[in-house]
Amino acid sequence: MSDTILAVDNLKKYFPTKRGTVKAVDNISFSVATGETIGLVGESGSGKTTTAQCVIGIYPPTDGEILFKGQTISEAFSKRSKALKRDIRIVFQDPGSSLNPKRSIKQILSVPLNVHRMTTNKDHLVMIKNLLDMVELPADEYMYKYPQAIGGGEKQMVAIARALATNPSMVLLDEPTSALDVSVQGKIINLLMRLGKELDLTYLFITHDLSLMRNVASRVAIMYLGKLCEIAPTVEFFQNPTHPYTKMLLSSIPVVSVEEKALKPTKITSRGEIPSPVNVPPGCSFHSRCPEKMDICTQIDPTMVEIGEGHVTRCHLYQGTKVAASIEQEEGVHAQDPVDQSNSNS
Amino acid sequence: MALLLDVKDLHVGFKIFEGYLSVLNGVELTLGEGERVGLVGETGCGKTTTVKSILRVLPMPPARIAGGEIFYRNKDILKMKRREIQTLRRAELTAIFQDPLMSLNPVFTVGTQLRDIVKDSLGTSGKKLTKKQITTRCIEALKETGMPDPERIMSNYPIQLSGGMRQRVCIAEALSTTAQLLLADEPTTNLDVTIQDQILRKLDELVDEKNVSVLIITHSLGVVMDLTQRLYIMYAGTMVEEGKTEELFARPLHPYSQGLMKSVPKLTGEGISDGIPGRIPNYLDPPAGCRFEPRCKHAMPICQTEKPPLFNVENGRHVACFLYRS
Amino acid sequence: MREQLKADLLATLKQKRRGFAKGWYKFSRNPISVLGLVVLILIVLAAILAPYITPYPGHAKPYTNFKNAGSPPSATHFFGTDRVGRDIFSRVIFGYRFSLMIGVVVLSLGVAPGVILGLIAGYYQGTWIETVIMRITDIFLAVPPLVLALAITAMLTPNLTNQMMAIALVWWPWYSRLVFALASSLRNEYFVREAELTGASKLHIMFKEILPNCLAPVMTKITLDMGIVILLGATLSFIGLGVQPPKPGLGTMVAEGAKRLPGEWWGTIFPALAIVVVILAFNLVGDGLRDVFAVEEV
Repeated sequence: MSDTILAVDNLKKYFPTKRGTVKAVDNISFSVATGETIGLVGESGSGKTTTAQCVIGIYPPTDGEILFKGQTISEAFSKRSKALKRDIRIVFQDPGSSLNPKRSIKQILSVPLNVHRMTTNKDHLVMIKNLLDMVELPADEYMYKYPQAIGGGEKQMVAIARALATNPSMVLLDEPTSALDVSVQGKIINLLMRLGKELDLTYLFITHDLSLMRNVASRVAIMYLGKLCEIAPTVEFFQNPTHPYTKMLLSSIPVVSVEEKALKPTKITSRGEIPSPVNVPPGCSFHSRCPEKMDICTQIDPTMVEIGEGHVTRCHLYQGTKVAASIEQEEGVHAQDPVDQSNSNS
Repeated sequence: MALLLDVKDLHVGFKIFEGYLSVLNGVELTLGEGERVGLVGETGCGKTTTVKSILRVLPMPPARIAGGEIFYRNKDILKMKRREIQTLRRAELTAIFQDPLMSLNPVFTVGTQLRDIVKDSLGTSGKKLTKKQITTRCIEALKETGMPDPERIMSNYPIQLSGGMRQRVCIAEALSTTAQLLLADEPTTNLDVTIQDQILRKLDELVDEKNVSVLIITHSLGVVMDLTQRLYIMYAGTMVEEGKTEELFARPLHPYSQGLMKSVPKLTGEGISDGIPGRIPNYLDPPAGCRFEPRCKHAMPICQTEKPPLFNVENGRHVACFLYRS
Repeated sequence: MREQLKADLLATLKQKRRGFAKGWYKFSRNPISVLGLVVLILIVLAAILAPYITPYPGHAKPYTNFKNAGSPPSATHFFGTDRVGRDIFSRVIFGYRFSLMIGVVVLSLGVAPGVILGLIAGYYQGTWIETVIMRITDIFLAVPPLVLALAITAMLTPNLTNQMMAIALVWWPWYSRLVFALASSLRNEYFVREAELTGASKLHIMFKEILPNCLAPVMTKITLDMGIVILLGATLSFIGLGVQPPKPGLGTMVAEGAKRLPGEWWGTIFPALAIVVVILAFNLVGDGLRDVFAVEEV
């Protein structure tokens, strides 16, 4: 069993706006084991990006806790230690704007090396060459180029090299290949996976592309309007999806082969619009689009329930199964606590 | 089946200060009445340039039509005068684009914009309608696209709507005309996947109902699988493969098509291929022969010197590759 | 290792040279801007070499020759002579020295503080720092530059130095505002965020990440501003608050010659034309620079 490297407990992030409070992340809990790749999947307004932003420290949480390697890190980056900034890194979605167009690749890669004093003057250049070698870019050619001169895929590789420059333990990947063509995507994803194994990295992989998740993640978590709907190990997730939103998502994926089509759930098809995060429907936030809505769904928000090995779901359809058992076990304490994920593995 | 659109050997380039970008290099495309055809290609392959050429909205100083013809119902669009093109655009051709926020005017309500279009298109068919009838027609059009609460939407501004709703407005605008040919340029790329699914299914229905011919341009193979009957794969300004959608998916022939299919992550979970090595060619100095040759595993000497034409492999299947020269 | 550093330096320089060559390509596409540049270079060279190339360098100093006073343009005096007999052509060339100096000094004094303040305000956008800096900027901007410069020069003794300082004081807020607008939008770019998350210092982010992206509009503005500053300086001299006679400031010369219009038109017209030419040249170069920095899209 691996240790838990990241634990998110009842995380909330609200943004007050003129039109009301945007509940970007609304009480989510999950944990990530060392070395695993957990996929965080959701559409607009799901809160997946905000979650990552809280983990990396762009925003301090409104409530709840984030624990990294056992230590609380629930604060904005300005208050975080340098060691922490070195240990958790992020790769952003848009390669075009994550590299400073007025700085050469060499200068871009120098920043993390210099900030964390990772090299002496003597081996600074060598270190940069090594980083470029690691992402399979010819160092001599690319060191002095500017971002405009290289393609989107290559820019993303530079961003990855930059993220790995500080020897982190965990890397957040925010839709790293969504802006790239599919023929370029594969190389980058495979590179990430290979480096992940070699350097024993933990990845929090955010995307909306479930087909990609199928091939990359060891566990998948689905978010909708700031809440987690379902978490499961990958294979289990695709073979036995339980939450209606999960099924809706899976049935909407555009696929390219007959075999894949056969894997998609057919009974639930997408309908309805995604509500605005300012105006979240009461009870279960998905009820306005759910084909299996019951009366209780409009009034009470369901809680996470374990329905299998490492498989949890948040839906009234499954509340009956485990709630009774948990209540018995915990002697009257209502089973509101999030299920501990530290023992689950791919 | 009558041929609606026939693009023959289209060559289009752009004059920029570094030189001449030779983008479209002999594009061939046909679309028959009632057909649904897909055009798949990645960034920079020239698909948007093709659409803009058909609609004649290319900015002509940098752009140059270096050769070829685009026939619409046997009349060459490229040779048409201003007025003819405008009539064509009002009555026969219609389009929806990738970013609905850019296609819709932000300072007018949905109702105003929709009414304008409906009024204009009905005007061409000689009917004179009252304001009320036009509004009713607009609301109908919105309902047809699956828009919730269309009456209220009429008085909203585009910025107040979600991406999916805006695209529905664009579809309503496009399909409430008398147009016979719909050009859809990446219509769902910016949308969430559940919304994309709804919109595509709706488009499918509507296009069937109104018997409109559709050319869907996209980089997503998954989108064209269900929606189209015939498919073109485009690379670096040429069509590299053409055929019935089902057959093409089942058995891609061109090395680029094969690489593309392999690159798409599959739900079956067999891992991800490394994609296609290399980059698209520099249009300032493109390869003289086959433009895919520098990246092709099966490259032969002839590929460097001669541009492969679309060979007829079997009934309706064309591949621009010397491997299939029979 | 020393060879490594040398190779590194060479490669960096090569890249910079390539960037410059590309910039020149884009600039040279505008023949008019190139013309402006040529004229500008000629003016600058003429001003620097004034004592050696003008036919009557002594006329820039106190000199009188009433026998020759008021003679029209001729082969010996290209622009004619003024009311005390000095050669106007030579004085115009020397006058360019003052004009260019005003431009260079004012912008040197005014641009740097303006840029730095705008940078800080942009980075600290949303905090009291931004409010303080930008409100001070607003106050300075609310007063018309000419009036403020007049007031300051009038308070102190009117001479070239005070004139330059007065204009500089009036000029910095424009740069502050320009850079503030750029910096506050750049502040939210991913690459700035990345640097912050990495733990880079605020100074690094302001000067190494944000500032390089602000330089292009600033440089264009400097070029275009040169013309305006020169005009402002000439105006102050015209009123009598700048370059004092008998020094050959262009504005001063226009004022002196104006008394003789329309009869001895050459006394005013040629200095005035000289002002027009130098401003035009700067403007044309500025336009060309704007094209150089424009992001191209096909």
